[in-house]
Amino acid sequence: MSSNKIAILYGSETGNAADFAAILSHHLHRLHFAHSLSSMGDYPAADILKCRYMFVISSTTGQGDLPRNVHEMSYGEDRTNTLWSVLKKKNLPNDLLDHLNIAFFGLGDSSYPKFNYAIRKLHQRMVVQLGATEIFERLEADDISMAGSNRDTGLGIESVYFEFEKRILQHLKEKFPNRKVNGEVLKREELSEEIYLEPKTYLKMGDTSNMRKENAHEPKFMGDYSISNGKIIKNLRITSEEHFQDVRQLTFKQDDIKPYSPGDTIAIYPTNTDEDVQRFLEVQTHWLEIADEPLSFTDGIPNSLNDGGCIENLTLRNLLKYHCDFNSIPKPSFFMKIWTFATDVSRMERGEEQCTQQREKLHEFAFEQDMQDLYDYCNRPRRSILEVLEDFLSIRLPWKYVIDYMPVLKPRLFSISSSKSNSEIELTVAIVKYKTILRKLRRGVCTNYISKLRNEDTIRYKVINNSLHLNKQLEHNRDIPCILISPGVGIAPMMSLIRSDICNNVHLFFGNRVKDCDFLYRSELEQFDKSGKIKLYTCFSRDEINSPELKYVQDILWEKKDLIANLIIDNQAVIYLCGSSGKMPIQVRITIVEILKKSGHFKDDKEAETYLKDMEKNNRYFQETW
Amino acid sequence: MKGPILILIHPAITTTPEVLEEKKIGISKQHATEVVIEQYLINKINDGTVVLETSNYSEIHYITPESDESVSFPKKLIGVLSDSLIPGGTLYGLTNAYKIDALVNNFEISDVGVYHWVKKNISKETKSVSLLASNSSSESGVGKKLPMFKKMPLFKKAAKNEPVEIATASDEVDELDDDDASSSSSGDMSNKAKYFESVGADSNGDGDTSVSEDDLVAVTDSTGITMITCGKTKTRKKRACKDCTCGLKEENEEEINKITSQQDRVLKFSAEELTEVDFTVEGKKVGGCGSCSLGDAFRCSGCPYLGLPAFKPGQAVNLSSISDDL
Repeated sequence: MSSNKIAILYGSETGNAADFAAILSHHLHRLHFAHSLSSMGDYPAADILKCRYMFVISSTTGQGDLPRNVHEMSYGEDRTNTLWSVLKKKNLPNDLLDHLNIAFFGLGDSSYPKFNYAIRKLHQRMVVQLGATEIFERLEADDISMAGSNRDTGLGIESVYFEFEKRILQHLKEKFPNRKVNGEVLKREELSEEIYLEPKTYLKMGDTSNMRKENAHEPKFMGDYSISNGKIIKNLRITSEEHFQDVRQLTFKQDDIKPYSPGDTIAIYPTNTDEDVQRFLEVQTHWLEIADEPLSFTDGIPNSLNDGGCIENLTLRNLLKYHCDFNSIPKPSFFMKIWTFATDVSRMERGEEQCTQQREKLHEFAFEQDMQDLYDYCNRPRRSILEVLEDFLSIRLPWKYVIDYMPVLKPRLFSISSSKSNSEIELTVAIVKYKTILRKLRRGVCTNYISKLRNEDTIRYKVINNSLHLNKQLEHNRDIPCILISPGVGIAPMMSLIRSDICNNVHLFFGNRVKDCDFLYRSELEQFDKSGKIKLYTCFSRDEINSPELKYVQDILWEKKDLIANLIIDNQAVIYLCGSSGKMPIQVRITIVEILKKSGHFKDDKEAETYLKDMEKNNRYFQETW
Repeated sequence: MKGPILILIHPAITTTPEVLEEKKIGISKQHATEVVIEQYLINKINDGTVVLETSNYSEIHYITPESDESVSFPKKLIGVLSDSLIPGGTLYGLTNAYKIDALVNNFEISDVGVYHWVKKNISKETKSVSLLASNSSSESGVGKKLPMFKKMPLFKKAAKNEPVEIATASDEVDELDDDDASSSSSGDMSNKAKYFESVGADSNGDGDTSVSEDDLVAVTDSTGITMITCGKTKTRKKRACKDCTCGLKEENEEEINKITSQQDRVLKFSAEELTEVDFTVEGKKVGGCGSCSLGDAFRCSGCPYLGLPAFKPGQAVNLSSISDDL
């Protein structure tokens, strides 16, 4: 197989870029273009020497950063010798990639200042500096259509993707109108959409004899040595019972102690509930009778199950519980793969006609470039794959390909709240629940899992050491002031910073909705304030009694503008900003520029703005939002 | 019944040839007309020395000296046997210990008369997948790589309830014609290859030997952007931002509340949380547009059932699973 001549690489944080990559892969397969598909981190670096066509799709994360799976392999914590680490080496010749044809597609959101920086960095390095040839100029999509290739058009990200796909397919078809199989030249014709493409490895019935029968044991996972187990010792709600939001203080004991610093995060590997698994099996009734039979893979464990390791006791029930994200919102690539299995007339109230109707609708969800219907049916009401299957009873899924068409449960990241390298790790987790037009309340897959954890339960996790280094000067001089700005659960990493005693001069700005309901860590923080460990400033946005004047953190910042300006300019303060993404970080930033101008005596916006940028460059302004 | 009959023989039977003879006589007696009987040792099939023709036999009999409880049979052959039977063909001699494999391989279990399995009259769901073919060819190393993918079924109708076709990876083995870009000679490549040699732990791209990512992008850099103006005609409904202040979020919440109260009007809750869909609500009889029961993907906008699962008209819908938080 010459699959190393064409490669699709993605850098994905939430899965959108990965899904577009999967769609492109699907179309290349149908045109018989052998290729590889992987995250950039998983791509074997030296393969780029044999590669002729590379298609790169990446989102941007954090402060204009490349997604984690560009830097790292999906399993293990290895950042060494990944493609990107090799390409960043200084001594490379400028013709290193002159054999390579390449195309870039960036996904971004222009409400962030460093819009689409990830794809631009990749482009700059690979094309401008290392000599790869672009087959067409890179495309940048903007979620809110204010910038990038779809600027002012009102078109979604999808339309930019489809343009990207169209250009690639057109280019390849023109270049390679024929395909050669065993030396024989055939005209390149597209495979019918109805044919399912068999993955490289899939499930088959296993051997009962080596089945570990006992189910009382803790489940075991194979293949990822970087994963750890933790025992829950506390799962406490820290908002009042009547408050709408459920925030948990979750503490677990590490089994083997991994070092970490404030700002580091924990990746938690969630599982589905047994009830939901049973519900799934009852919709796909033909799975039920073999749900607990041992299975094996025809050609090894698929790559997608590497992160966190694959369940050792391979059964359909276990795969559904530990690996299949059937409570997620289906993406177009899901429909692309499964629509053809809508064949079961026997479960159709109105027979053949209804079966055809369902089949056509699913096909539309899969291939309609205008994704409005799919959006209205799935994304808007946050409808899960399981609920789609319950609505479309004509779908009779073959279990052996489940890992191919079903999205895989991915870990979710949470900031650490406990002090540096404490053997008991504490997280501060807001449980995600909300209402849509669907009767059943929507819940976040991972936070729902967390909300049900009890003491002594085991969780699987990894410590993620973020590149968010602490300010170097702070290491030598603990008197440098830290201004911590953290509304809501943004308090999590700040607690770690405060508890780690890194700084003697902490000013914490905390905001939430109602003082008596969601003042997180209230007694601990008030105690710290009293003892002089920190200076605490609070505000509550929906609390007329306790916070009549000040609503948001930027309001207190503004009120304390002379203090802030003094801390920043005269005392070289470091600012940490953490919390929900969106307007908050923008408002805070504007407020600080304004403060610098007004109380710091910079003569105009531009000068204040430049000062703030210098702060960022010198690691004095950190932002972590999600 | 047409088609020959196959007797599969456990190797231990060779020490008691009379058992085999009895079997043959028994089979002949059961058939009015003369039947063709073939016989093979099971290990010949297991090791691939004998390859059975597909859809050939009308009956297969497995004879073994083992007692019913202790019959031990290579599971992977069950699919092979299934393939070699004509639809409706029968298999005698295996026990309920292999029930799962029987079901998976398209057999039905029958207790009518002597216990046996019957091959279902439809082709196996993934029969056309050429899985067996591709497996065996890759294992034996005989590169029987056919360039063609599976042809579409001739009858559209048959395609409905029938197997979905599966194309295997070997179907797309493809070699790009080397053309322009082969300019990079192999000498060139080995030169380049040295940069990819592992250089140990400090090659994580963050050390002093690496370019700084921040230097890769200029703040004002927006060159190389191509505008996309083609595309769809319909306009997307706006989504509210996470921290919406323009009122769109409230509008959406209003809509959700409206739909929820509409749902309340068509649902009757009983004590057991069993809920009947009420077709007595004025103007909402199922005859109206006929789509109410089909699920949200097919409902009209403004349908009072929006947000409810698909249901069978007139049947009670169990809402215990969907109403736990209301």
